[in-house]
Amino acid sequence: MPSVVRTQRTIRKSLALVSAAALVIGLAACGGGSSGSVTGSTTITVWHGYTDVEAEALKKLGAQWNTEHPNGKVNLVFDGGNDGALQKTIAGFTAGKAPDVAYEYGSSVAALSRQPKLVDLTERVKDPAFKWDDFFVSEREASTVNGKVLGVPALVDNLSLVYNETLFEQAGVPLPTPDWSWSDFRSAAAKLTDKQKKTFGWAYVNDGSEDTVWRYLALLWQAGGDLLTPDNTKPAFDSPAGLAALDQLKQMAVTDKSVYLDSGNGNYLNLFNSGKIAMLWTGPWDLSSINEDVKYGVTLLPGYNGDHQTISGPDLYMMFNNSDAKVDASWDFVKWLISPEVHLQFAIDTGDLPVRQSETELPDYQKFLTKYPGNKVFVENLKNVKHARPNIASYNEVSTAVGKMVQSVMIGQSEPQAALDSARDEVTGVLAGS
Amino acid sequence: MTVVSPGTSLSRRRLLPGSSGSGGRRPRNRATADQLAGWGFVAPSVLLIGLFGLIPVIWSFVISFQRNDLQTPAEWVGLKNYRQLADDPVFAESIRHTVVYTALFVPITLVASLLVAAALNRRIRGISIYRLAVFIPVVTSTVATGVIFTWLLDPDYGLVNAGLNKVGLPSQGFFSAPNQALFTVVGMTTWGWIGFGALIYLAALQAVPSDLLEAAQLDGCTKAGAFWRIQVPLMRPVSGFLLVWLTINALQLFDEVFVTTKGGPLHSTTVVVYYLYQQAFQFFHAGYAAAMACLLFVAIAVITLVQMRLTREEASG
Repeated sequence: MPSVVRTQRTIRKSLALVSAAALVIGLAACGGGSSGSVTGSTTITVWHGYTDVEAEALKKLGAQWNTEHPNGKVNLVFDGGNDGALQKTIAGFTAGKAPDVAYEYGSSVAALSRQPKLVDLTERVKDPAFKWDDFFVSEREASTVNGKVLGVPALVDNLSLVYNETLFEQAGVPLPTPDWSWSDFRSAAAKLTDKQKKTFGWAYVNDGSEDTVWRYLALLWQAGGDLLTPDNTKPAFDSPAGLAALDQLKQMAVTDKSVYLDSGNGNYLNLFNSGKIAMLWTGPWDLSSINEDVKYGVTLLPGYNGDHQTISGPDLYMMFNNSDAKVDASWDFVKWLISPEVHLQFAIDTGDLPVRQSETELPDYQKFLTKYPGNKVFVENLKNVKHARPNIASYNEVSTAVGKMVQSVMIGQSEPQAALDSARDEVTGVLAGS
Repeated sequence: MTVVSPGTSLSRRRLLPGSSGSGGRRPRNRATADQLAGWGFVAPSVLLIGLFGLIPVIWSFVISFQRNDLQTPAEWVGLKNYRQLADDPVFAESIRHTVVYTALFVPITLVASLLVAAALNRRIRGISIYRLAVFIPVVTSTVATGVIFTWLLDPDYGLVNAGLNKVGLPSQGFFSAPNQALFTVVGMTTWGWIGFGALIYLAALQAVPSDLLEAAQLDGCTKAGAFWRIQVPLMRPVSGFLLVWLTINALQLFDEVFVTTKGGPLHSTTVVVYYLYQQAFQFFHAGYAAAMACLLFVAIAVITLVQMRLTREEASG
């Protein structure tokens, strides 16, 4: 769920946009959904929640498609923001105005898998010309529910370590390296924390949302644990790995007090920009908001026993069946949109990472690296994504329970084992009830 | 809608004697014509309220007997949702938070609005600027208010803690501390609502006939005495209206929680409507959420009726 954070960037930029998003949530709650007018039988409607540069880049591609395909035009509709896309889409179904294609978070795919109108893409992606294997493993896993491909990758990212070089130099701490361990990370964060100057070594989004959960998942997986059992029927995080991950967080946040706990309003990036926070675990979407005068570096996450794996939150384009002709037209458009050359153009315009491995072999890829030098590590780090979050319909409930667990440890309210126990019971209940 | 109702009752009182005096010729026809005209005036609102108010309420009631994920065909489950609610610890917690919130927010806002209105009810230079200042929070978007408050009250970098430290007081957690978050929400919403209450009270204060006050002063009553013994009792209908209105809004608290704490930390600000939203639009248990909405509807209806009955008896007695 990277775009949770993405929208936080928007909060900082414009309060008006956020109130617009809130209005949309209100509209969704009323069951009303406005969609673009559909003119002509082959015009397809694509809902997206992109803002800023991404919206412009997408509009540019849409216009290009429409000039090249006068008989199969695309109508791009802004749905009020990716954070509310799932709610908006479901309201659209209720109101009988479903889009033909919608941009959705990877974590929404399981909830939408129950939708009768959803188009199963399993057969279509087998087309050799589509080159399904060209997508990163994490993207393919995120698109698949119970062996069925229900969406295709629209965006991919991952968490890497972003650090302020100046703060490291001032504190006399050697810069992070790709083979840092958890304890290297912890002791550096402690040294970079200064109560007098109000600087912190690290920042953690501690609002209990998926933003809180996915950083914990990276730690959990590095330590050899997993969230649920392989068949997704029982919790598995109440393990030595789950405990080690929570202990690490507790030692940093409670014992060392070297972590700034962000309440979810995205303040951490302002503080990083003003030299108050030395390290972030964040994704490529934040790089464009880092001020030019901040000298920063990017490297892999610190590892546990040499395991530096990270987590990715791929987002998807999902298709809904309003008529067979529209499904075919939608597939043609989506295929084109995420073909190597077209998507690389989008990546160069926006700084989003390539979604296909072959994009990195195209000549224009050098342009991407020159324009966004910080993104080099993020692209390489895609190889370190080894696990995907479970694609189950009740994922949001599981995430809420785990988020509360992490939150309670970070604010010193619970001991790690006690927090694990109560979250385990809660998740057991959720999985048994669904 | 809210500002209108006390106004209409006042204006009706003033208009009625005049209208009854002039129109005596064809009372019956006149009455039906008046009635028709009346219905004509309210028809648009009746239609809108029916369409966007009543139908959804009835529909929620129906959904509350279903297992409904808003996508696949719903399944009838009878009273299962209601039975589950009885055993849901988070729901019980959310009720407790809602009650605590309402019990603090309503009286504090009522009294503070009254005092602010009294302070603003005078003729001094620049009074309209003060009145504007008090009213500004009411017209500011909740989202903007929420974001500004989270910044002001940030435990590490917030202006408020910096001020507390300056005078030697320790830093507070505010929204980030489970034992303070709900009270912080009370503080923030009170700040946002005082302007509204003060506006209503100010209008009511200015409608109190000045000859009553002059008579009291002739009898040797002090200004403060006249305020508490004459103005405040005369404003009982207005206080009753504000009491009902603030209570309904407090029981339906959502926006402020959504933009500041998202029900946290650790459920400490999870109020009924926030929990309902979470169940319906994050977990997609629409039937379960609808059951909550129905219970809340009944609770609000009962509380409002009791309050209206009480304030009416007080006013007449």
